[in-house]
Amino acid sequence: MKIIVCIKPVPSSNEVRLDPQNGTIIREGRESVINPFDEGALEQAIKLKETLGGEIVTVSMGIPDTARLLKDTLARGADQAFLFSDRRFAGADTLATAYTLSLGIKRLGDFDLIICGKMSIDGDTAQIGPELAQMLGIAYCCNISEVVDVGTTHIQCRRITDGRTQLVRLPLPALVTVGKRYDMLRFPSISGVRQSLAIPVENRNALDLQTDLDRIGLNGSPTRVIRTFVPQRAHGSTEIVGDANKQAEDICRIVDGVR
Amino acid sequence: MRELLNPMSKQFSEYLRDETRIVGWSEGICFPTSEHEIISVLKYLFDHDIAITVQGARTSLNAAAVPFGGYIVNLSKMNRILGMRRDAQGGFRLRMQPGCTLRAIQRDLTSKNFSSNAWDQQSLDAYAEYKKASPHFFPPDPTETSATIGGMVSCNASGAKGYYYGPTRKWITALRLVLTNGETVAIRRGETLATGRNISFYTEQGRRIDCYLPGYDMPHSKSTAGYYIEDNVDLIDLVIGSDGTLGVISEVEVMLFPVPETIWGVACFFRDEEKVVEFVMRSREQLDRMASLEFFDGNSLNILRRQKEESTAFAKLPYLDQRFAALCSLELHCPDEETALDQLLLLGRLLEQCGGKESDTWVARNESDLQQLVFLRHAVPESVNMMIDHKRKQGLDIIKLNTDMSVPNHHLGQMMTMYKRMLAEFGLEYAIWGHIGENNLHVNIIPRNKAEYDQGKRLFEYWAGEITKMGGAVCSEHGAGKLKAHLLRIMYGDAAVEEMRGLKTAFDPKGLAGVGNIIANTPGDESNENNCMHQTGTL
Repeated sequence: MKIIVCIKPVPSSNEVRLDPQNGTIIREGRESVINPFDEGALEQAIKLKETLGGEIVTVSMGIPDTARLLKDTLARGADQAFLFSDRRFAGADTLATAYTLSLGIKRLGDFDLIICGKMSIDGDTAQIGPELAQMLGIAYCCNISEVVDVGTTHIQCRRITDGRTQLVRLPLPALVTVGKRYDMLRFPSISGVRQSLAIPVENRNALDLQTDLDRIGLNGSPTRVIRTFVPQRAHGSTEIVGDANKQAEDICRIVDGVR
Repeated sequence: MRELLNPMSKQFSEYLRDETRIVGWSEGICFPTSEHEIISVLKYLFDHDIAITVQGARTSLNAAAVPFGGYIVNLSKMNRILGMRRDAQGGFRLRMQPGCTLRAIQRDLTSKNFSSNAWDQQSLDAYAEYKKASPHFFPPDPTETSATIGGMVSCNASGAKGYYYGPTRKWITALRLVLTNGETVAIRRGETLATGRNISFYTEQGRRIDCYLPGYDMPHSKSTAGYYIEDNVDLIDLVIGSDGTLGVISEVEVMLFPVPETIWGVACFFRDEEKVVEFVMRSREQLDRMASLEFFDGNSLNILRRQKEESTAFAKLPYLDQRFAALCSLELHCPDEETALDQLLLLGRLLEQCGGKESDTWVARNESDLQQLVFLRHAVPESVNMMIDHKRKQGLDIIKLNTDMSVPNHHLGQMMTMYKRMLAEFGLEYAIWGHIGENNLHVNIIPRNKAEYDQGKRLFEYWAGEITKMGGAVCSEHGAGKLKAHLLRIMYGDAAVEEMRGLKTAFDPKGLAGVGNIIANTPGDESNENNCMHQTGTL
């Protein structure tokens, strides 16, 4: 079974900095980590490989430093990694990103399954998975909680919705997105790190992917960010002193204020 | 001044206990906010012959912060960072009140965001340079980050990274000490040294104090067993690790260190615990960037497996393969990734040579994975605390039985064999973990009944004798406090403990500070320990 896992670099810190010019997130390479939802996707892929055999290919669109994260996926159990990186990809919204990923994936040959995280923790759109499936023309199911069964021609997944559980059967090849902390991504081992040293992360640029330049990067993104801001949070604390009655009165006053 | 002293009441009852769950008693409590207030309080108490117990965050594992009478001087409100300076080598020094918690210090150092409103110009200049400098940290890392710097100094706390960076002592460059009579001593490292075993110094009020230092030699292993004594000892080292028995520390200056460029964590699992000692020996010899080396035995791993299944608080613990029988967890602190990779691959070869497997390892190369390993390490003592609390709720009158002994490198195997053999012989439930890189393991006995609890205590005393014969220390990083003070008599002998009392008297002639810490009562009298053992009820 050939499984492709999409990886997105996200800021490692909650303190997100925004570019004042175009409102996009400033991504400095060393601070980025694998999107936690994508970690769940990779862990699911490794589990499937353990039971069914096959190979895992990780892909990402990002700046050159993203190769560091893809190298890490090789140490954790992936067999190949591809980075789609080009200055012209910069500023892409979900549509342009899905387009670029779809072109890159088409050049990887036949595959059985694509697994993505449900969404990224910085963009929160949850659009890439469905858009990518549409562009590739394959079946998809979002926000699954479990892979129940995989055959030669199908995959069956469990998906928890509001108040009920769905069992969804998809023909292969298919795409699934996995929910929050679907499964904790295993650590790499020393032997995994050692093996990963021999496997290069392969780079592909806009030319390699034969992209339509009007459909990539900022030019190919219909989304326009009007304004982006970091919400201000008010912090404060009040010491409650005095006897029990006085303290109770103070607490009531604070609670009333909140109401 | 009287308004600073609060009579003991239910409102303050929490301050009668510390992390050991032992409950003491006290006439009252005060919460000074400045050195001036400490002085006022101490002068009054001195004049009235009232004992004092100094408290920080009450995270002591040996009841050092539990009062047995007198007044509590709680320093938790003295939690301001007072300033910063550059030293002659261009390093940074941070000056603070004793109630600053390790967590707050780490937070401010990382964010480079200090409350500097009241700082002088020299501090503000250094702060401006600090903001531009590469990240720095304060290396001592006891597990409990709510510990205060005053408490860490008092017990010379250490932690996992003590293997590479040493204990708190190494990072303290200056102190201010308020003696029980209200006089103050300003101590700067390197300025006041003993001559042989005699030391003299002046209080800021101009009084000269002479004291004769005890004649014992320190053990050849990591130690917080009694006062730090050596020929020509620095005055600051006498005060560090003195468990609140010489006075009240009112100010601390610490040295900062640049954060290593690359920090990787590695968990090495063993399918056979017997292989661990050889691995430790070889790692110490060959891994020169190893900052910590921690051990968890099979019982510790079983506790984690159980917690992961039964407690939602521990659900995020990684899955532990049933074949894993022991764990050695370590950190590599390196100047770059290339060096870290070299060390990691060398570690892999060492593991294979010692009967381990490269595939039975977890490598943490990002912050999230490193935090997972820290969570795993901290989950063990936390789980044992929960187990003991559960037994107490069921009516068993016990506290945690936890050793803190260490031996010289070549006795590591002998110590581990002794622990395992005797624990099995007595059929006790236990878990062993700790700083194996420094041969400092914590044996935790989890008694099922009072008889096992008493058996465990006797075992600890026997081990104290055996560890002493190996040239080791009965206390290595928690201080002696009240719970382990009696073990110092086993380690050094009664005469040496009386010499310690003599040293204390030079600082504290009325014997008011930290009564029961370090110096157990009269020779052969175990009332110090019995006092502790019989006061374990909850309020």
